[in-house]
Amino acid sequence: MIEFGSVIAGAVLLLLLMVATLRGWLASRSLEPGRAASEEGASEPCPAELVDRVFSRADWEFVRGLQARGIERLFQQERKKIALVWVGQTSALIRRVIGEHARAARQSKNLEFSTEIKIVAQFLVLMAVCGILSAAIQIAGPMPLGGLAHFAQRLSQRVSKLQETFQAGDLANAGETGSA
Amino acid sequence: MLSQTIWWTSNVLEVCLLARGVSSRLIFRYPVFYTYLFLVLLQSPIRAVAYRWYSDTWYGPVYWTTEFMGLAMGSVVVFEIYRVALAAYPGTAKMARNVLLFVFLLALAKCGAALWGDPHLLDDTTPLQMERALRTVQAIAIVALITVFVSYSIPFGRNLRGVLLGYGLFIGERVICLTFVSAAGKDFWFYAYSASYLVALSLWLGHLWSYQAIPEAERAQLEREYQMIAKATQRRLQEVRGQLRKVVRS
Repeated sequence: MIEFGSVIAGAVLLLLLMVATLRGWLASRSLEPGRAASEEGASEPCPAELVDRVFSRADWEFVRGLQARGIERLFQQERKKIALVWVGQTSALIRRVIGEHARAARQSKNLEFSTEIKIVAQFLVLMAVCGILSAAIQIAGPMPLGGLAHFAQRLSQRVSKLQETFQAGDLANAGETGSA
Repeated sequence: MLSQTIWWTSNVLEVCLLARGVSSRLIFRYPVFYTYLFLVLLQSPIRAVAYRWYSDTWYGPVYWTTEFMGLAMGSVVVFEIYRVALAAYPGTAKMARNVLLFVFLLALAKCGAALWGDPHLLDDTTPLQMERALRTVQAIAIVALITVFVSYSIPFGRNLRGVLLGYGLFIGERVICLTFVSAAGKDFWFYAYSASYLVALSLWLGHLWSYQAIPEAERAQLEREYQMIAKATQRRLQEVRGQLRKVVRS
């Protein structure tokens, strides 16, 4: 057990050093309080009305009412792209906020450890939500995203469908083997 | 033959590094690091004498005493990296101190729990196992320190970056090698164990050839109250959270 822990610690250290070197994390950074290169995409977030519209079902129901498969597909593709851009912008904004906080806090003599931990936890939760949202949009699209419950339901449906497909495949294989 | 080559190359590189340290006056900027190098260089003739004339009686104790002295001095090198890198960043220094304290308390607790479970553990532990345990704690401490440096975007000069990369690489490689190396016999891990220091020395020589200043911290920026900074960050994160919640519930 101790041996395993040692190997993990050594490997993590080597990996961290490699990534830090390749990504220039330990480089002579520019100390301007402006944006970091990775945060350049973090412009101001989309207006709230636009966000509401992207995730609203009203437009989707209207398009569905047209009974045209081509338009439906095009609509879904476009909305998906916009929704993903929004999630990307939001996560970039979160990174920018935390980056600006780090730059300001690093020189504070009265920094509070517990507050820093709370901020880091908040940051991690928000980034996780962005990751889940992004995955949900990729899989289900932005319109049926009426809460993560919908996403979970669709995901479980997809998993059960996949299971059914596998089972059907297995049965077909078994049938083929049996008839051979 | 291979171990002889590694031994001689290491000594030559150490002498080169020390000579460059004196001529570029880096020795005054990183006194602990150069003292560490000097101590490691000194280990070689002491061990050679013990091996040549007192192989049966004194070589083992001499080897492990010098090895643990190097380990202790290496920990002071990590402290020097922390001190130099965070001299202009008291906030990050405080964070790093707390994180390191947590790591050491965790290591102490684990050690205490192991001793509680087996009171004869210390008697049964070989020096090799002891070194591996201590080097593992060092590795975790360096990982924690690098995480803090990266999180707070601490700027590094070429010299300090070299010291950190070289020592980190050396510890990472050594921890892995110490896990697989056998006490008797010369297998791959024995040579990898010896060569890990050679890799660190080459890195140090490249990064510490001449002095390069660490980028200055922005002194012009007025220091704001930490509570104000933290409140502003939390407010902005709450705003984003509100947007995300709205979307998720839509």
